[in-house]
Amino acid sequence: MNKSEPLLSVAHLDISTQQDPRVLINDVTFQVHEGEAVGVVGESGSGKTLSALSILGLLPRGVVVTEGSIEYNGVDLASITAQEMRKIRGSEIAMVYQDPMTALNPVMKIGDQLLEVIESHEKVDSSSQGRVREALKEVGIPDVDRAMDSYPHEFSGGMRQRVMIAMALILSPKLLIADEPTTALDVTIQQQILALVAEERRKRHMSMLWITHDLGVVANLVDRLIVMYAGRIVESGTVKEIFTNPQHPYTYGLLASLPIATDKSRRRLTSIAGVPQKPWLVGQSCSFAPRCFNATSECQNQIPQLLGTLEKSVACFHPVGVTS
Amino acid sequence: MSLLIENVEKQYKIRTSATLVHALNGVSITLKRGATLGIVGESGCGKSTLARVISGLEKPSAGSIMWEGEEIADKAKNHFRPQRSRVQLVFQDPYSSLNPRQQIGSAISEVIVVHKLIPKDGIKARVEELLSIVGLSSDLQHRYPHQLSGGQRQRVSIARALAAEPDLLILDEPVSALDVSVRAEVMNLLIDLREKFNLTYIFISHDLGMIRYISDVIAVMYLGKVVEFGDWETIIERPLHPYTRALIAAMPDHSIIGNPETLSKTLQGEVPDPAHMPTGCAFHARCPIAVPICTTRTPSLIEVSNKHYVACPEVKV
Repeated sequence: MNKSEPLLSVAHLDISTQQDPRVLINDVTFQVHEGEAVGVVGESGSGKTLSALSILGLLPRGVVVTEGSIEYNGVDLASITAQEMRKIRGSEIAMVYQDPMTALNPVMKIGDQLLEVIESHEKVDSSSQGRVREALKEVGIPDVDRAMDSYPHEFSGGMRQRVMIAMALILSPKLLIADEPTTALDVTIQQQILALVAEERRKRHMSMLWITHDLGVVANLVDRLIVMYAGRIVESGTVKEIFTNPQHPYTYGLLASLPIATDKSRRRLTSIAGVPQKPWLVGQSCSFAPRCFNATSECQNQIPQLLGTLEKSVACFHPVGVTS
Repeated sequence: MSLLIENVEKQYKIRTSATLVHALNGVSITLKRGATLGIVGESGCGKSTLARVISGLEKPSAGSIMWEGEEIADKAKNHFRPQRSRVQLVFQDPYSSLNPRQQIGSAISEVIVVHKLIPKDGIKARVEELLSIVGLSSDLQHRYPHQLSGGQRQRVSIARALAAEPDLLILDEPVSALDVSVRAEVMNLLIDLREKFNLTYIFISHDLGMIRYISDVIAVMYLGKVVEFGDWETIIERPLHPYTRALIAAMPDHSIIGNPETLSKTLQGEVPDPAHMPTGCAFHARCPIAVPICTTRTPSLIEVSNKHYVACPEVKV
């Protein structure tokens, strides 16, 4: 594990709606070190996407950071100006979204869109076209010259996502944030994109924050995992720790509820009763308590803190496999 | 034999040109009553088209579909209605398949009324019974779809399908839109209902994990054709067709961790456009074991061992 100063350090982050304040993210703390890949896993409404968007100052209108800090390389991103943020966005930290069709400009040629990324940070010169060509080639776009002259709708979903990745990597960012970029793709295409990203990360020694609802996707892609539930981090740790020794009853239940594609037995799937709670309705209790098989009165009256090390932390009074 | 699908084809015409989109290219499947057929494949493989054709929502361009000895595709509309109640569909997104302005109870009772299944005075009790069968409280019958969670909405869709008293239930990606933690509950419910009412299922999904979990037999589809068919253990443990193998290798699997090498074992290229079908074997351009003749020879589904069918002459058994 990297013991140096983290590249990105999010501390005690609270996010809520501005009007009729509703808490969406509560006391979120995590780090990403240089060259490290961290996965954020959670269901819809768990706050995984908002956590990522807040890093780049891209929260939707009416949603604000109310507490906490987001430090990147010693700079607090939560307090810098919009102009300073623009310098960081794209060149230092880049983002890839779930749906490239809404992230790409539908009426602008691919080549021009990539050129625009360079232009927003540097002077465009005679070498820029070559850089665009190189970037597209690197992500496996066939017939680069034709691709540069094409519009997004002329590409398949997988190819569009490759273009998005080329766009994100063209200024060699230190940190890549990916928000479910393979969720809309077919499994064989998803696998191609994951392999491409893993390879680029290795070559560039790039840090990564990968957001997903699918534990299977990140199992072989990231070094550490953060599990979110109802706006809080409930467990974090190395991939090995999370998958082989899950301690939070939510993580434990989530893993038990997944059928394994190659499993020979057909044991009945273990399910988690109930539905996820809205973060603003939780109050002074563990958000998972209503669905938890280990819950006691303690869990109804106190919020468990995330305690432990980088290798393994858990926010639970009665973790699985630990007798108290 | 209960469901007999024979050489079913479906082409769609593109309005602005003479091009035909080949959604189904000769699909033949037989399924015993009470068994579950899993259909797996990527987008554009024709799995949803097949569901629509089997349910009678669309007519096949060629071929026949027999359910319990009766032709589904040929029925004139009125004549067809009693037949239709025996085959019901559950869709991926209950939010778009339920009327947002209709209360849950009325959405279910409507089905009973349309099919004239029970006398009027019994309907209210039947709706409550159906809700309880799918694990919902009868208090929910006065709610609207937006007041329910995703899992509850999908339970309503299932109750609605059961209201028609079907023998055959076609489930088109029924858990794909649900949160991971509620998927298992709905899957377990489907398995319980199958036993309780002796239902036959066609379970369509891109998720081989779910398919493996619920199916007795599995059909793997690629570009409108079944490329491999067999019982679930054979397909999962001894897949032969290079496409099935690739599909299994690409399944995100959390039983293997921290090994980026597993990501690189995947197919190259993408699924061809069904409006411009490749010649020969439709898979040849992406196939790791293709030989020159694959570009011209169209493989048919051959029984390679007991009830295990593969459409590839190049595989070694």
